[in-house]
Amino acid sequence: MNNARPVTIVMVEDDEGHARLIEKNIRRAGVANEIVPFTNGTDALAYLMGPDGSGLVNKGRQLLVLLDLNLPDMTGIDILEKVKSNEHTKRSPVVVLTTTDDQREIQRCYDLGANVYITKPVDYDGFANAIKQLGLFFSVMQIPETE
Amino acid sequence: MPITSKTFVRSTALLLLVGLLALIGIVGTNIWLADRSQVYLDEVIEARIARRAAVDLRASLLDMESGQRGYLLTLDESYLDPYEEARPIVLAQIDALNDVLAPYEVAAEPLQQLEADVAFKVDEMDQTIAQARTGNVTDAVARVLTDQGQQAMGRIMAFIDGLIEAVDERLIEGVGNQRSTGEALRMVAIVGGLIILMVVAGAIWAVLNYTQELANARRAVEQANTSLEERVRERTADLGKANEEIQRFAYIVTHDLRAPLVNIMGFTAELENSVEEVRAYMEGQEASADDPVASQARLAATEDLPEAITFIRAATRKMDGLINAILKISREGRRQLKPEPVELAEVVETSANAVHHQVADGDGTIETDIRVGQLITDRLSLEQILGNMLDNAVKYREPERPLRVEIRARHVPGNRVVIEVEDNGRGIADSDHERVFELFRRSGSQNNPGEGIGLAHVRTMVRSLGGDVTLTSQLGEGTTFIINLPRDSRGFLGRLGA
Repeated sequence: MNNARPVTIVMVEDDEGHARLIEKNIRRAGVANEIVPFTNGTDALAYLMGPDGSGLVNKGRQLLVLLDLNLPDMTGIDILEKVKSNEHTKRSPVVVLTTTDDQREIQRCYDLGANVYITKPVDYDGFANAIKQLGLFFSVMQIPETE
Repeated sequence: MPITSKTFVRSTALLLLVGLLALIGIVGTNIWLADRSQVYLDEVIEARIARRAAVDLRASLLDMESGQRGYLLTLDESYLDPYEEARPIVLAQIDALNDVLAPYEVAAEPLQQLEADVAFKVDEMDQTIAQARTGNVTDAVARVLTDQGQQAMGRIMAFIDGLIEAVDERLIEGVGNQRSTGEALRMVAIVGGLIILMVVAGAIWAVLNYTQELANARRAVEQANTSLEERVRERTADLGKANEEIQRFAYIVTHDLRAPLVNIMGFTAELENSVEEVRAYMEGQEASADDPVASQARLAATEDLPEAITFIRAATRKMDGLINAILKISREGRRQLKPEPVELAEVVETSANAVHHQVADGDGTIETDIRVGQLITDRLSLEQILGNMLDNAVKYREPERPLRVEIRARHVPGNRVVIEVEDNGRGIADSDHERVFELFRRSGSQNNPGEGIGLAHVRTMVRSLGGDVTLTSQLGEGTTFIINLPRDSRGFLGRLGA
């Protein structure tokens, strides 16, 4: 892991069990970056866009967003749309991680700028494997400076 | 006035009856009037004969008288010629007049008088001529001068004149009668013609009215048909919406069920890992029989926990299978069907080839008899339907005998096709014929893996193409699945989309 770039992982996941499993597997893959968890969309958006909603707070920060689409207060698509349309956050990679494997939904996420789409498999080995690969992906990925 | 077919028949029958009566009346009066006019004609002819007889008699008598008088004046025999000519026929002429007037009793007495007068006059003339011939002219003239002959002659003339006058009157009357008969004939013809015209007009009116009624009724039926079609379309659209909603519901439910399942499975795996570590540690420890807590903990770590985890895993796997099954069906329902021309024989061939290996393994055969050409339907659905049927045939074959599968297809009325897939497998019990099409239901011994979604899926697909699937089966002998599909699914799919 390239620790010269302190990437913050923002995890938006309402199911705490899923969040814990994701975190565990990321750690197991050897990723030691800070993970900021959120269990609802409102708080996550407040963090991502800042209190004024302009996204200025994240100027120059390197973020990676792990996004679940089924959230209690909004859909992950709303967050994806806002992140990708804000000039300060639009370069941050967004990984959509959800149970939906509806082709149209996946297509829509990519259209809106999602970088990776991962379906949460029910079988745990598959799930752990997917997360581990994601960790591998993080380690080779270059997060662009948002300067 | 609305005309029912009963009143129509009744009114036309009545009109025909009236027309027939009018016709009979015209013909009857015509015959009667013709008879009448014949009678009048006979009377006229009779009258003319009587007149002729009377005129002839008068002429003869006048000839005789002028001959007698000429002879008496000149005593020249040549003046007697007219007398001699008329003398022999006078009696015959009287007889003729008698004959003609015989039917008339009123004429009997004057006729006797006439006969007497004629006899007297003829006798007088004979005697005077005879006297003159013997030179006794003076006596003869004296005889004439008695005026008795003159008086008789006057009576004869008066009778004849009267008779002629009467006959003339009769003639005028006859002609009048004849004319009135003709008049009556004309009136009858006119009135009868009018009645027939009215009848014809009435019949035409009734027919037109009835035709109009029929047209109206047909229009009403057409209108009802159209509104019925409209309603069917509405209902179909409603049904489509409801179906969509159910599928949407199934989709959401399965996804929401999936999220906790991910947790259960994930943490079970975590637990398993942890238990594995504990177990490894416990097995490394020496068993100390005198510490019951330690031995119980050891038992839990090495047996109870791994067993519990195995059951949890099996249960969650099963649940995952069910959820995936529902998901598959709901996804199938959400898939946009694309009607396109499909060669049925080709699809059957492909499906048969796909299971060829498994069939050939047990000396089985698949025979096809496809009498249907091109269908317009969703190719993928058709492939899946046939594939499912053949998979079932292979899966549930009777191990005792080689598998025989027959796929038949033919046209049926209503622009539809029937595809039959017959096997000689283990069959389905009567009580399960409908049940096998339900989700998660399976029939017979459960010696094959499966979730029980195959036939439910088939039925969903067949129905979404506008068809239906049923089966006939004899337990232990085989099953025939009967798939009834529209030849062209576009109409049905179009309606659903509307």
